[in-house]
Amino acid sequence: MTTIAEKPQLISSRKDAQFEVTLYKNVGVEGAHTLETYLEGGGYKAAKKALTTMTPEAVVDEVKRSGLRGRGGAGFPTGLKWSFMPKPDGRQRFIVCNADESEPGSFKDRYLMEDDPHQLLEGMVIAGYAIGATKGVLYVRGEYYKSYERLREALAEATAGGYLGKGLFGSEFDFEIILHRGAGAYICGEETSLMNSFEGLRANPRLKPPFPAQAGVYGLPTTINNVESFASAVHIIAKGADWYASMGTDDSKGTKLYQVSGPAAKPGVYELPMGATFRELIFELAGGPTEPIKALIPGGSSTPMLAFNDETLDTPMDYGSIAKKGSMLGTGGVILIPQEKCIVNATWNLVRFYAHESCGKCTPCREGISGWMTKMYQKLVSGRGEAGDVELIEIMSRNIKGKAFCPLADACLGPVQSSLALFRDEYEHLAEHGTPKYTKTNWWSA
Amino acid sequence: MIELDTIKPYFEGKEDVLGEILGRYPDYGRRSAIMPLLWEVQRAERHVSEARLEEIAHIVGVHATEVKGVMSFYSTYHEQPVGKYHLQICSTLSCSLAGSDEMFDFISEETGLVNGETDGSGIFSLQKVECLGSCGTAPVLQVNDTYYERVTRSSCKELLDALRSGEMLEPPRERGGDNEGAEKPKIGSEQRVGREA
Amino acid sequence: MKVKVNDVELDLEPGTSAIDAVFAAGYDVPYFCSQEYMSPIGACRMCLGKVGAPRKDRETNDWIRDAETGEPQIFYFPNLMATCTTAIMDGMVIDTLSKEVRQAQSGMMEFHLINHPLDCPVCDKGGACELQDRAYEYGAGTSRFEFDKRHQEKHHALSELITLDRERCIHCKRCVRYFEEVPGDEVLDFIERGGHTYIGTVDEGLPSYFTGNITDICPVGALLDATSRFRGRNWEYDHTRTVSLDDASGAAIMVDARTGRIERVKGARNTQVNLDWIDDSTRFGHEYVDAPDRLKTPLIRKGALLEPASWEEAAQFIASRLAVAGKRVGVAVRSDATLEEGVAAKALAEHLRGHAEHFPRPAASVIAENPATFTDVATSDAIFVVGDPTEEVPTLDLRIKDALRGVAPPELLAHGVPIADLRLKERMPRKRSILTVAAPYRTNLMRHAGQELIYPAGQEEDLFGGVGSGKAGASLAAEQLNQLKSALSDAKKPVIILGAFVLASAAATRAAEALAESVGAKVMKLGPMANSYGLEALEVTSDGGYADLLTQSDVLILSNLNPAQDVQIGERLRNLDLLIVHDSFETETTGLAHVVLPAKTGYEKEGTVVNLEGRFLNVYPAPVDSGTSEDFIGVVRTLGEALGVRLDGRSVRSARRSLAKTLNHDLAALPEEGLLAPVDAKEIGETVADTVAGNLLLTSSLLKVDRLRRNPKLRAAHGDVALRVNPADAEAQNLEAGANVTVNIGGVARSATIKITEDAPEGLMLLPATFDQALGLTSAEIVPAADLVSA
Ligand SMILES: Cc1cc2nc3c(=O)[nH]c(=O)nc-3n(C[C@H](O)[C@H](O)[C@H](O)COP(=O)(O)O)c2cc1C
Ligand code: SF4
Ligand code: FES
Repeated sequence: MTTIAEKPQLISSRKDAQFEVTLYKNVGVEGAHTLETYLEGGGYKAAKKALTTMTPEAVVDEVKRSGLRGRGGAGFPTGLKWSFMPKPDGRQRFIVCNADESEPGSFKDRYLMEDDPHQLLEGMVIAGYAIGATKGVLYVRGEYYKSYERLREALAEATAGGYLGKGLFGSEFDFEIILHRGAGAYICGEETSLMNSFEGLRANPRLKPPFPAQAGVYGLPTTINNVESFASAVHIIAKGADWYASMGTDDSKGTKLYQVSGPAAKPGVYELPMGATFRELIFELAGGPTEPIKALIPGGSSTPMLAFNDETLDTPMDYGSIAKKGSMLGTGGVILIPQEKCIVNATWNLVRFYAHESCGKCTPCREGISGWMTKMYQKLVSGRGEAGDVELIEIMSRNIKGKAFCPLADACLGPVQSSLALFRDEYEHLAEHGTPKYTKTNWWSA
Repeated sequence: MIELDTIKPYFEGKEDVLGEILGRYPDYGRRSAIMPLLWEVQRAERHVSEARLEEIAHIVGVHATEVKGVMSFYSTYHEQPVGKYHLQICSTLSCSLAGSDEMFDFISEETGLVNGETDGSGIFSLQKVECLGSCGTAPVLQVNDTYYERVTRSSCKELLDALRSGEMLEPPRERGGDNEGAEKPKIGSEQRVGREA
Repeated sequence: MKVKVNDVELDLEPGTSAIDAVFAAGYDVPYFCSQEYMSPIGACRMCLGKVGAPRKDRETNDWIRDAETGEPQIFYFPNLMATCTTAIMDGMVIDTLSKEVRQAQSGMMEFHLINHPLDCPVCDKGGACELQDRAYEYGAGTSRFEFDKRHQEKHHALSELITLDRERCIHCKRCVRYFEEVPGDEVLDFIERGGHTYIGTVDEGLPSYFTGNITDICPVGALLDATSRFRGRNWEYDHTRTVSLDDASGAAIMVDARTGRIERVKGARNTQVNLDWIDDSTRFGHEYVDAPDRLKTPLIRKGALLEPASWEEAAQFIASRLAVAGKRVGVAVRSDATLEEGVAAKALAEHLRGHAEHFPRPAASVIAENPATFTDVATSDAIFVVGDPTEEVPTLDLRIKDALRGVAPPELLAHGVPIADLRLKERMPRKRSILTVAAPYRTNLMRHAGQELIYPAGQEEDLFGGVGSGKAGASLAAEQLNQLKSALSDAKKPVIILGAFVLASAAATRAAEALAESVGAKVMKLGPMANSYGLEALEVTSDGGYADLLTQSDVLILSNLNPAQDVQIGERLRNLDLLIVHDSFETETTGLAHVVLPAKTGYEKEGTVVNLEGRFLNVYPAPVDSGTSEDFIGVVRTLGEALGVRLDGRSVRSARRSLAKTLNHDLAALPEEGLLAPVDAKEIGETVADTVAGNLLLTSSLLKVDRLRRNPKLRAAHGDVALRVNPADAEAQNLEAGANVTVNIGGVARSATIKITEDAPEGLMLLPATFDQALGLTSAEIVPAADLVSA
């Protein structure tokens, strides 16, 4: 097992000549959330450009050419998704912003909303124009009250300033945004659950088909994207698809907000071009681990963990490269798991999360994850494990995998199956001895 | 069914608030107002009672069962009143790796509360919650709607003491990451904002 | 579309679900959440199959072919699919037998069972439980779950009628979906989420008329009929599939009896009539059958007393009295008598040179000229209802709601009704605009209507005139009526539904038929009782009608009728030469009778009824112990024997022989769906003068007020008979909600509880009628119950 590797090579960073911080440039800057500051930095110029000089098709095309892939986790090409909207037929259509960010290890959208709400609004205006939606829905997770307040202020300012409302930038295009606050349910990040939640229904996922483009919010044509996806669209329109596509790798273009949490010197959000390595993120920017590390979760808690070794550290953080390693880029939320943390306990923590967040609609997730898997882990971590428990967890995982209604159940299996594959010895040790191989418990700094 | 006439309806005399909330959504989407109406009541009363639930059902034009089904789906609506300060400790992995379990024990000892409890005088409620999206600034303690990040033993103590005397501290603005280089706001933990009634 | 299920190739319509393809091929997959006539949701994940399909090459538009065989190559979905929510594709291949699939199904079965109490030995559903059956067929037999099961409330009374055992629930969501999708009363929902999810309500007592159906569709023993709980095991019941005689719909029911007693009634399937659904009165309203005061033997008057006797003695007594009695004979049966009983009544009347009649019978004919079927209603694009179908013919209420969903009833497949009809969705938008409901008060159905028209009672003729002419009428604006008329004229399949208030007036009915003709609408008439249609078609009618029969006869033979409920009529009946009353219970009229004959209830008869569509349906007897009770056929048989004649209708067979001649149908063993054979419409009579003034409207009621006293569970659930009064009237008359009053209507004194509601218009009180009261406007006097006591 590799622990802290030697000083890594710098591939590219904000110091790289052709790369500048774009999405994140206003975050942490005092007063950046106001319209005034946003305008000073060239705000709403991209929207103006799109609405006054481009056709909606051209906007969609530009985003397609940029190679932007959705930043909500699945990485679906954004321009392509926009082009799925049916031909306008007089019905109301919606552009929805998924700001329910709840995947453990992900916290980028929150900062974007708190410190740069107008960037998001501008992105929604552009997307709304591109798909012909005159209404936007901004669904913010309930706990993000600061984001909610900042967005509410920003909406008021933007409306007063004429950046939202009727006939934007002298065009024919009207656009308004409904700000909706969630109330604590991870499943609302799943796009169709979010729509149910917005409609005042229980937030169980819906059957697909019909897909949101055919029947989304209120059964009307809808496109849904992540906060960061909208923010990216602003810069794609401002600087052009070519500029955007010049950054990144073959299958992953542009820059992305990566997040580091766990024991690192400087955890937080870092913007890097797609394809930067874990090594650069963790060592160059986040200051390196403060403890020996045994594994990392690459993209939010649901993405299978990878062993913390040179091979992993040198893996470019793009969709294809991480997939090749058997995991996913996800939200780009990297969680470092220290050597001294009992892996069963760490996994139990995430299993408990998914069990708590299961919506209860389908059997494998409600009974399998919520009902049984948690009990198995509880049994192990409380030292009551016995022979056969580890195999049973494996069998249950197989019985759940790929059979649930929505991806949440499989998301839980991400950490379960990967930790079993990498650290089976820790499981067996715990089951056999009743005590974990690694026993450190106090993680709180003075 | 609760006899509404015995309790003054929450939205009586608040037609402007009600109108604003209903006005956010298109006519065909009246049900969408359920969540904001629940929020409105809960922020004022720290929970949503069955009478309020029926009132909301009536406003939106659905059966009360429907509102209950929606409300109970979410973690942050409460049927029982929570304390004046609702201490919510994120216990998911990144926070746990930064000591949230120990922080929970500490607060539990300080307040004498176990998970899910509210103290007799209604000052504190203690609750473990799932990931709050502050993994980079862990551990995080959410008091009502405010996040306190990178909580240490000493800042936690300081915060609890302040809360006991009815003061909410202005949370330090924590970001980390790429904003390190940016100009730091000049608000520190010492600075306090208005005393609450 | 061609699909292949395991080794069976099929050709099915596009849109068919994969699960239906599997069943159509004669194979089986387990399922819990899917349910006929409801939306598929893919929640239980039991119906997994391995599904693949060929793909077309985008360039050549030809199938991508296997290099070796040249056959189109099958691309399998990466995961097993829930077949219930997968639509078939051309060339689709579905595998339900492989080890992978079987393993997945048994794994899912294991998940279903971990928190289920497995208390089959004490569960009412045992022996008829989908979970139990599927666990045997698809389960592994053992569980590896070693923890405490989830503990939840066990005997939770959702209402007086339905008990919930939350531990047994497997979260299939059938019950929750049912309420939203079928009656549209969302009074039950999931509460909490994830592993904590349970079903519950905060709407006390499940305020809906159609709650019991959830006990039929619950795949486990979680939702149980409280009236039958712990009464017997499923294998001990005799199941009799028959037809409900509670209203004119002809809904199919299953009567489960044990040791001579009805333990429960369930819905049965008639794909043309009630689908699978019945209302709560039909389901729970059977307790009266076993009431302790049920008449079980004939009674003969000896002076002031009625004394028990045998049928022979009673018949001899009648024969001897007939010999000396006056010659004017009247025979009347209640309108839920079977056709065969109708034949018997006619034969008896004819033999005695008297008249036969059925009651209740509205002024206008219940047979429509251009009759609509339930399917016509369910597929209509403009429905105009005048009346209160929810109370009159509850099945129709649900079929109207089918129309609002806008999905035609499904085509049947080889295995019957599709298990997963992919056209149905959760929370479908409803096309409320196609429905207009008019009534003199606010009805239940109006909540679902695009337009509600409340008109002054008694002005039905004006209403139809107004719609027809596009002028204002019945106090409604011309604009509204005009709009309705064009909606009807523009529709492809308009239907006009005429309730009791219309049929009470011959003139109004004529105006309605005229409107129907002018807009090309089909007409459905809501006859008052189960066989109103059939008895009218059979002409069990007399010129003067029932009223004349009561006043002009020397001898009266009445079946299940109680005219002496009205004291003034009672006074007259006292002077009859001979009064023979055939009934199941003592009434005011049996109190005056010379002979009382015990009558079978609707669950005990064999015969035929014709529902409001003109559909002939066989009624079968459940094995109920009712002493020596007989239906009217039995009455005529015994009387015939005493009189020494062999009358038509002395047996079901003889009645059917006679019916085969008059109606041209062989009524023995009709198909389960019945025989749809409407008869020609009759000239609308002019028997009763229209009443246009009054302060009380006698309405129909799904809860049969005559039986409510003997149906304690139903009464506990829905309360006593309510006199509905508008708040303003209540204030003016000093009536308090919940107060008990006596309502004097002519010679009839009814007791009722005051219910103050905006549903009643100002100046008009609403009271459900008894079987013997004509529906419609009348005058009443309200006497507080307390005054009555002191008086
Ligand atoms: C269980 C679950 C949770 C999700 N949570 C989020 C979320 O919090 N935020 C988000 O943007 N996308 C989330 N997604 C992904 C969304 O369903 C959807 O793919 C995304 O919002 C699309 O936006 P994008 O194309 O811009 O990425 C989640 C998906 C699942 C299955
Ligand atoms: S996997 Fe099933 S129970 Fe879990 S969240 Fe998705 S639909 Fe709900
Ligand atoms: S998932 Fe339940 S029947 Fe298909």
